[in-house]
Amino acid sequence: MQSQSPTHEFFPAPPSQTWKRYPRLLARLGMFTLIRELSLRGNFLVKVAVEVLWLGILLAFYETVFARTSMVASWPKQDYLFFVGCFFAINGVLETLFLENCNEFSNLVRTGDLDFLLLKPIDEQFLITCRRVDWSVSPNIIMGFCVMAVSLWNKGWEFDALRVALFAITFTCGVAIAYSFMLVLTSFSVWLVRNQSLMEMWWLFSSLARYPREIFQRGWANSLDVVFTYILPILLVVNVPSRVMVKTIEPKMVGFIMVVTVASLAASRWFFQRALRSYRSASS
Amino acid sequence: MTTPLKPDQDGMEYELQSPNLSATWHKYYRVFRVSLAERMTYRADFLLGTFLRMLPMVTTILLWQAIYEGSGKDTLAGFKYREMIAYLLLVHISRMFSSMPGLAAGISREIREGTLKKYLIQPLDLLGYLISYRAAHKVTYIVMAALPYGIIFYLCRFYFDGIPSASICAAYLLSLILSFLIGFYFEAAVGMVGFWFLDVTSILYIVITLNYFTSGQMLPIDLLPTFWAGFLKALPFQYMAYFPAVVYLGKVQGNDLIWGLALEAFWALFFAWLARYLYRRGLRHYGAYGG
Repeated sequence: MQSQSPTHEFFPAPPSQTWKRYPRLLARLGMFTLIRELSLRGNFLVKVAVEVLWLGILLAFYETVFARTSMVASWPKQDYLFFVGCFFAINGVLETLFLENCNEFSNLVRTGDLDFLLLKPIDEQFLITCRRVDWSVSPNIIMGFCVMAVSLWNKGWEFDALRVALFAITFTCGVAIAYSFMLVLTSFSVWLVRNQSLMEMWWLFSSLARYPREIFQRGWANSLDVVFTYILPILLVVNVPSRVMVKTIEPKMVGFIMVVTVASLAASRWFFQRALRSYRSASS
Repeated sequence: MTTPLKPDQDGMEYELQSPNLSATWHKYYRVFRVSLAERMTYRADFLLGTFLRMLPMVTTILLWQAIYEGSGKDTLAGFKYREMIAYLLLVHISRMFSSMPGLAAGISREIREGTLKKYLIQPLDLLGYLISYRAAHKVTYIVMAALPYGIIFYLCRFYFDGIPSASICAAYLLSLILSFLIGFYFEAAVGMVGFWFLDVTSILYIVITLNYFTSGQMLPIDLLPTFWAGFLKALPFQYMAYFPAVVYLGKVQGNDLIWGLALEAFWALFFAWLARYLYRRGLRHYGAYGG
């Protein structure tokens, strides 16, 4: 039987093995936070109930609206509900994996606890933005997909493998772009310390993403459409994946969102590391 | 008669008892002033936050424009497009008065951690202190938000039919003050539940979420099906957002307005009584653990 030397762990692993450990780490962190959440089961269930209630309210709102009109900005009811479900699912992924961690970042900066995270032999961005999984909002992902499925069913949608594949790709791109925005806003905490307004800024961005582009394509709002599609491309996050499923596939937009994803991930990582270099430990 | 102990550096005098009304008023006025100074600490963050909070209104205006265009109608449930936008803007003013972030959670935390006892051993009433504190926060908020709100309302002036008559303005102001009282005492009553459940965060999540819809923040209650509209109008939550807004828009007038204000005053008194009743009952359960 071979025995492993304990000193083995001190030697850095080759790059291929280093990257392989991240999914395993994420799973472990997820398991750890799940166990912690389930130690307060009542609270966990109430938080889940609130998310269900919130979706119910959102659907009641759109039911009320579509009782008065058959179309909102060229989106019929079922298409619009697919859009709402897509937003809910993407937002669910972001809130489950990243939002709580990003919110916590300014506290880490203010108290100096960030020192302990920076000392760990692991990628700082991964550790800071993924260390806690907020399981209480994870049902939003399932609920979002359920809303999408029901709307496709009601619409009489016929299965199309190409659309499904493109949806999976653009959905992932949407999550990545929104994550990049969140990371940039989080990075500002290093300089501003108090980030209440930065988180308000995040809600502002997410409130833009929750509507179809068409509502911006009129009069003075056209400039918003251009800015938030091509310069700060938050409007792509939900619009592109929704459109590939329920509207005409636009290859240019699919290509564009992929390019934007790579660029925004790279830019946000650069900005985050630039922010970390400006960090001065606040405590002993 | 109050018993002065010694003046502090600011010339403030401590007192052991406050048996008369003037001394009581003076005491809570001091709380108000200290809270005012505290609230002014993060001015820049506050101003930026207020601006950003109003910006989603742009998308709301665009969404309702698309809804009205899609319906092909000029009026939905008695609201013209302009009135709808004016309503959604006015709801922000209603919420400025009636929202009480952190109040219930704060009360339940004081109960849980045992720090509530400071109100029991000092000549300070919990509800009296908290309402002075909240009033100071509201005054600061309203003064500070006057600039960003003023700009936004000026830019959106086309959605309003000018300033309403003096009587409507007076009724509107009264409805806002009553909405502050309803908001305060309602949330204080929720916080008092902490005497029995210790942590009310979960209940609070549900209350806030339900309140968002039932108070008419998302859309005017009139747009809902008749049964639900009638049901929600019978509840007190409408006074926290819907009612002041429709008063300003002149949609409630004459006897309906007087009746509406009387009902709003009733709910304010009811929640004030409820919060006080739960506090007294709760103190019998209170163990003053921790602290």
